[in-house]
Amino acid sequence: MSAPQNSRETASSLLFLSPFLILFTVFLIFPILYSLYLSFFDSSQGFGLTNLRWVGLSNYFQILGIHWEGASWKFNDPAFWWSLVVTAIYGGLSIPLGIAAALFLAILLHNKLYGKGFFRSAFFLPNILDMLVVGVIWTLIYAPKYGALAQITSAFLGPEQFFNKVGPLASPYTALPAVVFAMVLKGAGFGMVLFLAALQNIPEAVYEAADIDGASKTQQFWYITLPLLQPIIFFMVITGIIGSLNAFTEIYAMTAGGPQLVIGEETLGSTSVAGYYLYKQFEGGRYGYAAAISYVLLAITLLITWIQQRFFAGERR
Amino acid sequence: MNMQNIATAIPEKPASSPLRIVIFVSLFVVMLALCVGISGQLYKFVTMVAAAFMAGSDPAKAGAIMKNMAWLIDGMVAVTGLALASFVIRRWIATQAEHRAEFLRTFFLYLCLTVGVIVVLFPFFWMLCTSFKPAGTELLINTANPFDIVPAEPTIGNFKKVLKLDAAPTGASIDPVEAKKNFGTYFMNSLTVASMAAFLVTLFASMGGYVFAKKELPYKKQLFGLLMATMMIPGMMYMVPQFFMVCSMGLFGTKLAMILPHLASVFGIFMLKQFMETIPSSLIEAARIDGASEWQIFRVVIIPLSMPIILTLFLLTFLSHWSNFLWQLIVTDFENPLSVTLPVGLALFRGQYTSDLGLIMSASCFSIVPIVVLFLFAQRYFIEGMTQGAVKE
Repeated sequence: MSAPQNSRETASSLLFLSPFLILFTVFLIFPILYSLYLSFFDSSQGFGLTNLRWVGLSNYFQILGIHWEGASWKFNDPAFWWSLVVTAIYGGLSIPLGIAAALFLAILLHNKLYGKGFFRSAFFLPNILDMLVVGVIWTLIYAPKYGALAQITSAFLGPEQFFNKVGPLASPYTALPAVVFAMVLKGAGFGMVLFLAALQNIPEAVYEAADIDGASKTQQFWYITLPLLQPIIFFMVITGIIGSLNAFTEIYAMTAGGPQLVIGEETLGSTSVAGYYLYKQFEGGRYGYAAAISYVLLAITLLITWIQQRFFAGERR
Repeated sequence: MNMQNIATAIPEKPASSPLRIVIFVSLFVVMLALCVGISGQLYKFVTMVAAAFMAGSDPAKAGAIMKNMAWLIDGMVAVTGLALASFVIRRWIATQAEHRAEFLRTFFLYLCLTVGVIVVLFPFFWMLCTSFKPAGTELLINTANPFDIVPAEPTIGNFKKVLKLDAAPTGASIDPVEAKKNFGTYFMNSLTVASMAAFLVTLFASMGGYVFAKKELPYKKQLFGLLMATMMIPGMMYMVPQFFMVCSMGLFGTKLAMILPHLASVFGIFMLKQFMETIPSSLIEAARIDGASEWQIFRVVIIPLSMPIILTLFLLTFLSHWSNFLWQLIVTDFENPLSVTLPVGLALFRGQYTSDLGLIMSASCFSIVPIVVLFLFAQRYFIEGMTQGAVKE
């Protein structure tokens, strides 16, 4: 290709790419730097965007630091550390349960059945529905006295029981598992479709060989099916971790961070995950602080990605 | 040969016939119960919706219509049950003795799947039913059968109220802004935002994807690597800086603010590039020789050939903006009903009518029902599009 033609090709490429590239630079690259810049400011003077005051690294010291108080070291911001703990619990519950539910459904559906498509679609459907609305519906299902769960359990267990008097979302010990349950039911169909596709790619001959060698169905599951599904499981763990760090809408809709739980001398929200805590800072007008928190969360995400690349990348495929 | 191999070499002893019949009968009973329960609720639901619309806002009248229709519901349930029962029994008899264990297994599988579908879809059915319950009766349940959740005396009053169509006091002047704060407006806002965003994202992503798949550009590979790297960044990260940017552009509370920061879709570029790479380059060469301009090649060759994937991206983007709650909440100006979208509107609404289940549920319908209908028509695009990125990686 001659030089002028080449530069014409480049020019037309740039022209085609320019709308995307401009938006990408302005709204996806620039904010990362802008956020870092904002995280050095304090906006506690008022809600306005103009009330920013340069404070250097003190937001980061406030988030991550500890101080000596009374007779022991205390976190400067225990609520932030607690939100990381809640996020870890949320991920630790929802990821394995989500994978188990998806795998269970996929194995049920991986049979010669009429109406397979119907079941596949029915399980997948809740995935595409608005998270906030699903959260609101589940809040009302869980609600004591008038919720569906309270009404149905009351018919069997009488009115004097947990679901009717308190409700799963009002007790600090059951609130997070209740959210997880709703989210697992909502998301199970997605993993199911992935598992189903992977199961269909396992050749029948592998199982026939195992049958001849006398492996039981359980052994076949643990030693053939599960290892071959590992890439999907791996993918679901990674997206699950990112999902837990980004979790916000389900918490906002179902518990608003509550119910409160007293640990030591601190009163903490039992479902206040990191994403929700970040939003609370933002809502309270502490923009610089929120920007700093989001940077800490970015660091955590990158750390997890690095660990995954470093230690588990070899196991894929 | 070890012991295990010998054990499997002996043909499996068939289970005794009476035991199989007992299993069959018990599964059969469960099936009948499920069939009667599900079909009863579904038929009753359809009747209930029809009755509610015929009677308008008069629950007692709708209740009377439903009572008159009860024989039809019962009859249809009986017909469905009998049809299913005779089908299963015929199949059971037609199955040879050695295949009956397999038959029972499949039968059991179907029952499990049916129960699974009930568990997964129950919340949405309950939402639909509750949205037709008149105020104050959400607490009333059918004590004879707690699973009967379709209201006996339905009303469409909730929907009227949510749309602010209920009769206003005559003569009272209505604030036009207040009157616009209804779910009809919110629905239209969401529709506008989601379809505008979906159209622009798809357009820009297909133009970009075409470059990455088929055209020359210096540092193309490195640029693509940068795009992929940004996919790792958690979305929460963008909340603060994008909010500041949108505010300083003076866009706070506009629809443009809701879509502008999300128009550059890296995922879309990735998806379209993957697809467009499979288009043979000879087609593009041929068009070029015929004297087509670059834009004509894009419009006449690339776009029609990539239509399925473009449609998928359109639907997925539409969906993500339909339910992009956090960002829409942040940039909404609550005083201006024209900037309130469905999820934000629902969150606001729930704050006002905390325990008015019927109202909240009928408001939820505006978000759920259109998407379910869309899914029924385009489920292939949704399922394949959403899972494709995962499998290809």
